[in-house]
Amino acid sequence: MQNFIDAYSQVNLAFLLRGLWVTVEVSVTSIFFSFLIGTLLGIARYVKVRFFSSLVGFLIDLLRNLPLLLILFFTYFALPKIGIRLGVIPASIVAMTVFESAMLAEIVRSGINAVPIGQMEAARSNGLSYAQAMIQIILPQAFKKMIPPIVSQFISLVKDTSLATIILLPELTYHAQIVYGQNANYAIPMFVALAVLYFIANYTLSIGARLINRRLNHA
Amino acid sequence: MSMIEFHGVEKYYGKFHALKDINLTIDRGEVVTVIGPSGSGKSTLLRTINGLEHITEGELIVNDFDLADKHTDMNKIRKNVGMVFQHFNLYANKTVLENITLGPTLVLHRPKDEVQKEAMALLDMVGLVDQAHKFPAALSGGQKQRVAIARSLAMKPRAILFDEPTSALDPEMIGDVLDVMQKIAKQGMTMVVVTHEMGFAQRVGDRIVFMADGQILEDSRDVKGFFEHPQEPRAQEFISKIFNH
Repeated sequence: MQNFIDAYSQVNLAFLLRGLWVTVEVSVTSIFFSFLIGTLLGIARYVKVRFFSSLVGFLIDLLRNLPLLLILFFTYFALPKIGIRLGVIPASIVAMTVFESAMLAEIVRSGINAVPIGQMEAARSNGLSYAQAMIQIILPQAFKKMIPPIVSQFISLVKDTSLATIILLPELTYHAQIVYGQNANYAIPMFVALAVLYFIANYTLSIGARLINRRLNHA
Repeated sequence: MSMIEFHGVEKYYGKFHALKDINLTIDRGEVVTVIGPSGSGKSTLLRTINGLEHITEGELIVNDFDLADKHTDMNKIRKNVGMVFQHFNLYANKTVLENITLGPTLVLHRPKDEVQKEAMALLDMVGLVDQAHKFPAALSGGQKQRVAIARSLAMKPRAILFDEPTSALDPEMIGDVLDVMQKIAKQGMTMVVVTHEMGFAQRVGDRIVFMADGQILEDSRDVKGFFEHPQEPRAQEFISKIFNH
């Protein structure tokens, strides 16, 4: 019990929260960019632009089948060899965005596929162009179907930021490691603190998604 | 004045020969019903008229546009040719009213308030004014199909294609939909109706086309005469099967 009281000193808790801030910063930025890029790639795969779509398909397959850890290594250790030198935070964001975009592209593509073909036929018969039909009819319905898998993906993303401890990203898990590295008795209190903080971060995400879903259902 | 002209049209899906040497000219204001066994190419024929299916060979002229020409802007044809589907295909993410107003505002760029007034008048005609602000999921099949008809009328098309509009409906709902279709026919709309409703074909149709195996076997302006004395053996077989039950 004393271990817990000592471990949760003001200094240590402030240090953990600084780590949490980096986790949130990297997660939110990666979520923002991967949502944008993943949506565009998913649409590109769906509409089947000759050559371009197969290229996108190949890249997505490649990235989805590599460990995120390896992608982190590449962005942090390999990119400098070709002159692209990134700090740990930008490198983490780039790696997460690249990996998550590939995952999201597949979610987006399957979401669009799940909208019945009759919706597109009706829209085209109604005189809408392909782009108008996509924007007005297909994508809104597809996104509604995509919300649950996208939220799961973003929850994984938040948890996977801890992999970036490998390139010394000063995020939540890394800061906890530093604390119990100084005193092994603090290990278990730190694990408990990590569990609570990750749970709060991800549960907030789920609740946010539920609110969006409810608004879409009423819209 | 012809609205739709097929000249020697062929359609293949890979090796499958779906439409064989189709020659058919439909005049403006004509109500043509197309009947025949399933898989006979009726729906394919209908879907070529607004470019949902492309023809493989031959000539197809709709509202003076050449559909075989790759430079023809399909959207120009679709603005003028409405389509009503077996499974309604109302936009699931739009209300009943929005389903009807989307085309006229987005495609024809007409003012929203004017379009909404017209949409309400159309809903009144199909007897669904009180459903205007509901989503399609809340409607019955018959109601959905009447909204779908109102949606295509809102574009003020030159012709409307109906692809088995009552086949997915409960028997009780069919009458309401057919009544609406009869009203439209009386207003002089060019209509091509793929259907199994033989009563509708006789009462409302100016002309009947019988298809089997991708071919037009009979094409008659004497609809009653066709049902009493079909000429082709395949048509005789079809008619006798329908009326013996």
